[in-house]
Amino acid sequence: MTMSARGSTRWLSRRRKVAALAVAGLAAATVLAGQLGASSAQASSSSDTTLTVPADTQMTTFNPFLSYYDGELNVIGAIYPALTMLDNNGEPIPYLADSWTTSPDKLTWTFKIHPGLKWSDGQPLTAKDAAWTFNLIMHNATAATSNGSLVANFKSVTAPDDTTLVITTKKPQANMLYLSIPVSGIPIVPEHIWQSHVAGLKNYRNMDLPVVGYGPFVLTGFKTNQYAEMTANKGFFLGAPHYDKVVTNYYSNSDAAAAALTSGELDQIGGLTPAQYKAMSSRSNVETYQTQSNGWTAIEINPGAQTRSGKPLGTGNPILKDIRVRQAIALGINRQELVTKVLGGNGIVGAGYLPPGYPQFFWKPSASEALNYDPTRAKQMLDQAGYKMGSNGVRVAPDGKPLEFRLGIHSDDATDAAIAPYLKEWMSAIGIKLDVNAMSFDQLNNNLAKGDWDILMDGWSTGPDPTYLLSIQTCGTLPEDNGSNGNTDAFFCDKKYDKLFAQQQTQFDAQQRAATIAKMQSILYAGNADLILFYKNGLDALRTDQVTDYLQGTKAANGFYPLQHGFTSWWKAAPVAGAATASEKASQQSSDAFKWIGLGVLVVLVVGGAVFLLRRRTAAERE
Amino acid sequence: MSATQERPAGPTPVEEKAPSRLVPVGRFVLTLLRMPSGLFGVVVMLGFVVMALTAPLYIHPDDLSVTQATGPLLAPPQHGYPLGTDPAGRSVLLLVIWGSRTSLAIGVMATLLTMVLGATIGLVAGHYQGRTGRLLMHVTDWFIALPGLPLAIALAAVLGQGAASITIAIAVTSWTGTARLVRAQTLAVGARPFIERARALGATDTQLITRQVLPNVMPLILVSSTLTVASAILAEATLTFLGLGDPTSVSWGSLLNNAFMQGAVTAGAWWYLIPPGIAILIIVLGFTLVGRAVEHALNARVQSR
Amino acid sequence: MSLVVQPEVPTVSGPEEGPERSDFWVYLARKVGAAIVSFIMLLVVGFIIFSLMPSDPVSALTRGRPTSDAQMNHLRSELGLDKPLWERFLTFVGHTLSGNLGYSYEYHQPVSTLIADRLWPTLLLMGSSTLISIWLGMWLGIRAGWHPGSALDRSASAVSLALWSVPTFWLGLILLVVFGSGTVAGIPAIFPAGGMQTHGTAGGLALSHITDVAWHLVLPCLTLVAVIFAQYVTIMRSSIIDERGNPYLLTARAKGLRDEVVRRRHAVPNALLPSVTVIFLQIGGMIGGAITVEVVYSWPGLGYLTFTALRIPDLQLLEGTFIVFSAAVIVCNLIADLLYRALDPRVRRQ
Repeated sequence: MTMSARGSTRWLSRRRKVAALAVAGLAAATVLAGQLGASSAQASSSSDTTLTVPADTQMTTFNPFLSYYDGELNVIGAIYPALTMLDNNGEPIPYLADSWTTSPDKLTWTFKIHPGLKWSDGQPLTAKDAAWTFNLIMHNATAATSNGSLVANFKSVTAPDDTTLVITTKKPQANMLYLSIPVSGIPIVPEHIWQSHVAGLKNYRNMDLPVVGYGPFVLTGFKTNQYAEMTANKGFFLGAPHYDKVVTNYYSNSDAAAAALTSGELDQIGGLTPAQYKAMSSRSNVETYQTQSNGWTAIEINPGAQTRSGKPLGTGNPILKDIRVRQAIALGINRQELVTKVLGGNGIVGAGYLPPGYPQFFWKPSASEALNYDPTRAKQMLDQAGYKMGSNGVRVAPDGKPLEFRLGIHSDDATDAAIAPYLKEWMSAIGIKLDVNAMSFDQLNNNLAKGDWDILMDGWSTGPDPTYLLSIQTCGTLPEDNGSNGNTDAFFCDKKYDKLFAQQQTQFDAQQRAATIAKMQSILYAGNADLILFYKNGLDALRTDQVTDYLQGTKAANGFYPLQHGFTSWWKAAPVAGAATASEKASQQSSDAFKWIGLGVLVVLVVGGAVFLLRRRTAAERE
Repeated sequence: MSATQERPAGPTPVEEKAPSRLVPVGRFVLTLLRMPSGLFGVVVMLGFVVMALTAPLYIHPDDLSVTQATGPLLAPPQHGYPLGTDPAGRSVLLLVIWGSRTSLAIGVMATLLTMVLGATIGLVAGHYQGRTGRLLMHVTDWFIALPGLPLAIALAAVLGQGAASITIAIAVTSWTGTARLVRAQTLAVGARPFIERARALGATDTQLITRQVLPNVMPLILVSSTLTVASAILAEATLTFLGLGDPTSVSWGSLLNNAFMQGAVTAGAWWYLIPPGIAILIIVLGFTLVGRAVEHALNARVQSR
Repeated sequence: MSLVVQPEVPTVSGPEEGPERSDFWVYLARKVGAAIVSFIMLLVVGFIIFSLMPSDPVSALTRGRPTSDAQMNHLRSELGLDKPLWERFLTFVGHTLSGNLGYSYEYHQPVSTLIADRLWPTLLLMGSSTLISIWLGMWLGIRAGWHPGSALDRSASAVSLALWSVPTFWLGLILLVVFGSGTVAGIPAIFPAGGMQTHGTAGGLALSHITDVAWHLVLPCLTLVAVIFAQYVTIMRSSIIDERGNPYLLTARAKGLRDEVVRRRHAVPNALLPSVTVIFLQIGGMIGGAITVEVVYSWPGLGYLTFTALRIPDLQLLEGTFIVFSAAVIVCNLIADLLYRALDPRVRRQ
C-alpha cells in the first residue's frame, strides 16, 4: 500500500514517502485515560468483515484541502469522490463523470456528472458541488494548500446544471483527466457541509463523524495517529465493496507492522525492508509480492547553481560545472551493485527520469547514450579532461583545486546512509574524494535552495501524471535573483527541455505526449545533473488465508505487479470464506493465553508486594 | 558522570578526601593489580586499546569496504565469518573490532573535554570562594538536576550531526560531577599550610592554581576520568543509536543503529545485534572496574594514613 | 554525577531560632524559591538553544513550497521573529507559563496537546518499572546489605555492575529480537514487537484491553527494570550496611529477637528513610533510559515523541519535550527535598 498512487504535484512527496513507515514515524497516540469510555473500533455487529491495512503515514487531519500525508490521502480518496479514476493500466476512466468532451481549441472541457447520486447525509451530489470545490481551491489561498498547483491553469469552473461541469483553461491542459482522481488528485466535497468551514479552514481537521462524503466508504471512526475506520457504502453506484469495513492502522515502526501481519491483525502490509521481506517469504499463509516502483532514488550533482537571470548562486564546487566530470561520476557508479546489496535485489537499475510504475512513460537510454559502470572509461575521461591524479589519490583540476566534493545525505533515511559508503568508495577509485555530510530534511533542502551543495541524495515519487516531476527540471523553477521562489530540483536548465515541456502539456494524444516526454528524459539523462541510481520496488505482503482479490492487474514478466492503488484494492478486495471476522479476530486475540500470562505476572507482583508488606506488619505485631 | 547513564548503581563515588600527594606509582599499581577485579579491568582496558590501535595492521581497508565485500548478505555465523555478515556482506567481527576505534576515540575525547571543563570550573569555584565560587556551584547544581539525555539530544540536534557534536554534548552533560569533586579537593588543598606559605611569598592566584593546587588535584581527576570514559562510551552509543552520529562511520552505536533501521529485528539477525552490545558491555565494565579499583587503592591509602 | 546525587542536607537550626512551624515554612519557601530559579534558568537555556540557533523556522515551515518574500515576511512577523530578542524571550516565557509550548507544523497540533497525549503512556511505563524496580531492588538490597560479602551480596553486586555497563537500548533490542520476532532459536514471538495495544481491541476498562496493554508493557518494562533496579539494590544495601553498626540493633538482638525480625522491624525502617528521597532524585536519570526504550519498542510516549521530533527535526516539539522533561526533574528534586525533611527524624525536630 505504500505504493499507492501519489500526487507528483505534492511538493512533500519529495523524500517523505521513503521515510514514511520505516523511520520517521509518529507514535500511535494511545492515551490510557482517553480510552475510558471510548467506543471500540470494532464494536459494531459481530458478523462484520473488516479489512485491516496499515496506514502509510501518520493521520492528523482529513481536511482534503490541507492534507498531504499518504496515510490521510488514502482515506480521503475512499470517502470523497473525484471526476475520474485510474484503471489497472493507469489510464483515466469514469468515476463521477460519466463522460467528457473537449472543445476544438482544447480550452473547454465539459464533464457529464452521474445523475441521481446522494451524499451520505442524503443531500443530492451534483455538478455544483464539484464546481464549488474547484472554485474554492482557485480563489482561497488556504484551500489551495495541497492542490493549488493542479488548478493553476484553470480560468473558470461552472455548473450550468446539476449534471454538467464546464472547466475552461488558460492554455490547453493535456493532463486534465488526472487532476481529479482519488488519492492523488482533487477530491470533491459537499458544498452544503463545507461552506460553513471556509472561514476557519486553516484549523479545521474534518473529524465530525461520520464524515459526510461519497465513495466506496464512509469515514465512521478515527483516533489520531492510531486508526481510521471506514464503513462500506453498500449503495456505491459503481459496485458495493465486498468488505463491511476497512480499518487503516498506524504503526510507528515497520517491525511492529510486520509482526501484526504475522499475528493476523493486519491483512496486508507494504513498505517492508529487504530483510523483513525475506523473513516474510517463508510463511505459508503469506504471499509476498513486489510492485513496480513509482519513484526513484538518485544523486543530484550541482551543475552550477544560478538564478533565473543567470546569476551564480551559492557555494557549489565549480569543477562540477564541467559535464565531463559529471559523466565520469556517472560512469564510476555501479548501479547494479546498489540494487543487489542495498535493495537486496528488489529493484531496477536506474536510468530514465520517470519510474517503471508508469510503463507508458518509462524510458531507457540507447546503447550509445548509456553511461554504464565503467571505471576505466571514467578515469580516461578525467585524464583527457586534464584532471591529473594527485599524489594522495585525489585528482586535481588544471587550476590546482582537488576533485573533492560534499555529499549531502538525509540523516533520517537508512537507505541514504547505506548508499553513501558505496559512492564514496567508487569515487575514490576514480580519484574523486567525497565528504559525506548527514543532514536533516530541512537543512538539506535549505542548502539545496541556496545552491550551497555539491552532490546530494535525492528521491521523488510521482502519481500517474508526471507533469509536476518534469516541471521541477525547467528553467522557470530556478530561484529569482533574491533567492526566493525557487522550486528547482537540481538547478538544471535547458531551453530545449523547456520547449518540450510546454509542448507535452498541450499534447492530447497519449502516444505523442509520451514520445515528447521520452525526448525530455533523454535530455535529462545527457545533462547528468540527476543520476537516477535505482527504482526501489514496493515490498509488500498479503495474508492469503484472510483476504483475496486485493491485488489488481497481472504480474509482469519480471515477476513484479503493476503499481497498486489503495483506493481500488480496498474497494475490490474480498474476505476469504471462513476467515475470522473482526470480532472473532479480536476475541481470539484477547483470549490469547499469553496475555493472561502478562496479567498473571502483574497480579503476582502486586499480590507479592502486598504480602511482603503485610508480613512485615504481622512480624512486627508478633514481636 | 554521563549524559545518558545516570545510574548510580555503578561506580561508587570517588571519596572527596583523596590523598594530597601522588601515591608512589609502583606500590599503587601493585595494590591495583592485587585486586582480581582491578586486574581484570586493566587487562580488558589495555586489550581493547591495543586492539583498537593495532586494528589497521590486520584489518585491510578492503575488509571494511562495502564495494569489495565478498561475503553473503546478512548471513549468520559461518566459516570465514565467525560473527556473521552485515547487509553489505562484510564481516561483523571485523566491523566490531574497527568500531572500537571510533567508540574509544569519542569516549576519550569527550572525557578529556569533560575533565578540562569540570576541572576548570571546580578549581575556580574552589579557589575563589566568594561570590564567584558560590555562583559557579549554583550553576553546577542546577546542571546536575537537568536530565542528561534530553539535554544532549537538544544540543546535538542544534549542533548538527557527527562525532564532534556528540563529543560536545557528552561533555556538556557530564562535567558537573568532576567540577564538584575538584572543588571539594581544591577546598581541602587550599586549607593546607603550603598554600598559605606560597601566598605569603607573593604567588598570584594563577600561579597558586596551576603550580600548587592543580598538581594536588590531578590524581583525583585521573581517577574520575576512568569512570567518565565508561559512561562516555555508553553515551556515545546511545546518541549514535538515536541517529545523532555520523551515519557513515563505523562505531558500535552506528552498527546498532543500522541493524535497528534495516529491520534486523524482524529478520532475527541476532549476530548483527549482539556483538556490538557485548563489546560495549565488556569495555564499560573494564573501565568501571579499573576506576573502582583505583578508588579502593586510594581509599586504602587514605585509611592507612 | 558520580553516585547518588545526595539531597542537600538541610541545616538543622538550633532551638533559639524560633518555633519549628515557622522554621518549616522558611525551609519550604527556600526550596520552592530555588526550584523557581531553576525553572527560570531552564527557560533561558531552552530559549538559547532553540531560538537562537542558526535555523529559520519559517523556511522549515514552508518547506520548499513556492513562497514569495512577502509571504515569508508575513509569516516571520506572525511568529514574532522580527521582534527584538528580549521581547521574544518574554513572549516565550509568557507562553510557556500559560502552557503554550508552541505549535508543531509537522503534526498540525499544538505541542502541549501532543505532549499531553503521550504523557500517560510514559507515566505508565516509568511508573510500573519504577515500582517493580523499587520492590525488587529493596528486597535484594536489604538481604545483600544485611550479610555483606555473602554469596547473595556478591552476585547482586556483580549483576548490578554488569547491567550498569549495558546500553539500555541494546538490552531492549536483544529482548525484542529474542521474544518479539519469533525468528531466534525457535522461540515464538511471545510478546508484541512494539506499540502499546493491539489495534481494534476494545478500549476503556475492558479486561481484554487491560491485559492487552499489560501484555505490550512486559518487554519495555522488563528492560527498564533490568537497568534501574540495580541502583535501588546499591542504595538499600549501603543504607542497611550503615544501620548494621548501630547500637540499637545490638539492643534489639539482646532482647532475643530473631535475626530476621531485627532486620525487618529495626534496621529496614531506618534504612528506608534516606532511600525514599533518593528514589525521587533518580527519576531524572530514568528519563534517559525511558527515551531509548520507548524508541526500541515504539511505545507511544514522550520519549518516542522526542525521537520522532529529532529526526525531522521539529524544533518546537523538541523544545517542548525538553522543557517538560527538565521541569519534571526539578519538581521531583523539590519533592525529594521536602520528603527528606518530612521523613527524617534527625532533620525534623520532635
